[in-house]
Amino acid sequence: MSALEAGHVRPAARSGPRFGTGLLVQTGVLLALFALWEASTRLGLAHPFLLPPLSDVLVRLYQDAIGGAVFVDLGLTLYRALTGFLIAAALGIPLGILMARTKFFGWFFEPLISIGFPMPKVAFVPIFILWFDIYDTSKIIMVVFSCFFPIVMATHAGTKNVDKWPLWSARALGTKESRLLWEVILPLASPQILTGLQIALPVGMITTVVTEMLMGGRGVGGAMIQAGRFADSVGVFAGIIEIALLGMLVIRGLELIRARLLIWHPEARH
Amino acid sequence: MSEFGIKVEGVSHSYAGRSGASTVALKETNLEIARNEFHALLGPSGCGKSTLLYLIGGFIPVQKGAIRTPAGVVSAPGPDRGIVFQNFALFPWKTVLENVVYGLRKQGRSKPEAEERARHYIKMVQLAGFENHFPSQLSGGMQQRAAIARTLAVDPDILLMDEPFGALDAQTRRVMQEELRSIWRNSPKTVVFVTHDVHEAVFLADRISIMSARPGRIEHLVETELGMERDDGVIASKRYVELCERIWALVREQAISASRGEH
Amino acid sequence: MQLVIRYLPVAIFFLVWEIVTVTGLVSRQLLPGLEVIFSAFVGLVASGEFLFSAYKSLTRAAAGLGAAIVLGILIGLFMATNRIFLWLINPIVRIFYPMPKSALIPLVMIWFGLGDSSKVFLIFLGCLLPVIISTYNGARGVGQVLLWSASSLGASRFEILREVILPAALPDILAGCRTALAFSFILMVSSEFVIAKDGLGFLIGTLGDGGNYPAMFAVILAVAGIGFAADRLYAAFAASRLHWKEQS
Repeated sequence: MSALEAGHVRPAARSGPRFGTGLLVQTGVLLALFALWEASTRLGLAHPFLLPPLSDVLVRLYQDAIGGAVFVDLGLTLYRALTGFLIAAALGIPLGILMARTKFFGWFFEPLISIGFPMPKVAFVPIFILWFDIYDTSKIIMVVFSCFFPIVMATHAGTKNVDKWPLWSARALGTKESRLLWEVILPLASPQILTGLQIALPVGMITTVVTEMLMGGRGVGGAMIQAGRFADSVGVFAGIIEIALLGMLVIRGLELIRARLLIWHPEARH
Repeated sequence: MSEFGIKVEGVSHSYAGRSGASTVALKETNLEIARNEFHALLGPSGCGKSTLLYLIGGFIPVQKGAIRTPAGVVSAPGPDRGIVFQNFALFPWKTVLENVVYGLRKQGRSKPEAEERARHYIKMVQLAGFENHFPSQLSGGMQQRAAIARTLAVDPDILLMDEPFGALDAQTRRVMQEELRSIWRNSPKTVVFVTHDVHEAVFLADRISIMSARPGRIEHLVETELGMERDDGVIASKRYVELCERIWALVREQAISASRGEH
Repeated sequence: MQLVIRYLPVAIFFLVWEIVTVTGLVSRQLLPGLEVIFSAFVGLVASGEFLFSAYKSLTRAAAGLGAAIVLGILIGLFMATNRIFLWLINPIVRIFYPMPKSALIPLVMIWFGLGDSSKVFLIFLGCLLPVIISTYNGARGVGQVLLWSASSLGASRFEILREVILPAALPDILAGCRTALAFSFILMVSSEFVIAKDGLGFLIGTLGDGGNYPAMFAVILAVAGIGFAADRLYAAFAASRLHWKEQS
């Protein structure tokens, strides 16, 4: 059993429980947590260096936003993550389809991809520094490298496991072989391809941040590691909140794209 | 038969719909089933026959009215009321033997005793030799036999069956119906059998409740009076054919009005 | 023979690597030859440096991952069965889930310094969410009829949780743990790159800084190999726990 057939690229990516009837209660829980954070620091229960008051962090976020510097960092991080992610998709989806549709590509790439998939790709950062230096190109290539494998895996599995009944129906209805891929196979495989993208995107974000921390320069990762080195804990917390918001933005965005594209799918009913 | 098996007294049930409006699944239903009677609940889908079964089982709470059994008023599931579902509901990670043993162990029986009893019931449903198979290795019919063995093994007073043969092919279905009837004859129990198959209901039951949809309610009560012995001879009999025709006419009415009410 | 054909592409990959280094198509500084990398690896093993680093790293990953699995399964099960608990935990899960966990590296540095605890805590946090979410989804997905069958056979609430919900959710839980395993390696290496005084990530960093590229390549390939082997071992373990599932 190869990793490609092991089915660990699972369909129907639910990121977790949705806010349901208890929306108010759950918002209340969050507000209570924030209040607890602020209170514990004001009352001196937590050391202000280890846990700076929430209000200080919010003031810093506000100052960063006014100064505009934070948008440069966030923008750079977003640019690297998304560019790398999109290049990986542009390479990975066609390769996955080719692997499923042609014997040669399947034979040649299956073992390479299934060996590459579970490897911790961040370990290769020093090699990319050696080859491509420490600037944008290097960072983006690193993101491409880490996003590429889950996308190929999911596309390959999704395209290969397409049900034969819709295919036979389409043929019987007169679909040309050359159009079959676009009109039947890709739509049927799209849930799994999207799942692959949804696995790759968070990995890409993690990699972007680590790469920025290691290669330095501007970007949220670089800024945070600076703050850490200068023992600026307010800066570290502000950075965490910024990157969390950025992560929420892109991941939620991809979820919305999935919901829009798969409006025909039974999963859309939930 | 003066003893009662199940008494349903003025039971109503409604579900909260998605948009907040509630659907009345069952309205002011009364039904008395005698002890050791084989009773079929027949009706189109959505008529509340499964709801009534789940209420008797204690799986969903009774909102209005009361359900009584010889063991008392129903308020929760209990081993006095065994249930068999359409999709078997076997524990897929347990073997056939382990599935049947499960309920017996819950009764406090020792492991060897439970296993011996389980083997007896597995043999009774003709699954001897498959004790160590997992459900995924068995056909649908065999899985349902295992599920029936699991339920019968704990010896419930009441056997609740929720379209138990609905997922089986026609041939397997017939065989299972005959076997169920003969198992029931050998160790009588009060059976409530939910189905939408007229022939199945007539072939198996002593009495048939025909239910209407929206709101669900028992419209007709029919005694089959086909005698104890049920075999190919019964199916060929005039009485059987006439009953099926008459009941089909009653059910058809309900089914048409139910399908109009949909959407 | 089939195995040879199947893994021939891997051999071709290494062959191309060897050819471009031997012929000098690619500078040997940028891509050391395989034999140079191998002898560097033998040297690292002989000096004990590699094994010490591997021991340090893997114990961190195992500690963080182990704690995350135990706690994650418990939290996920409680979330699926207790609404109050769900409301308390869900907002926290929803906020932390989309955050790139590597952003926590500077935080654990401030909290725990450069020692083991900072890395263990980071790995723990990063692995916790995939386990919680997959356990929750698995436990919520258990069919109603399975729960009803168990309760009608006389199982108590706690017995249903332990004997029905947990095994029924096992496929999802095992899948979530596999994701967590991958995260544990990513976070182990990244945190050791940034904040550490030992471990495989740290070793790669020092070898790179010192310009000892063959050795750096050797350790990177070894880390990739360990990550791959861990995933395959885990997959075999998971498959053995799910032998009751239909082979499809």
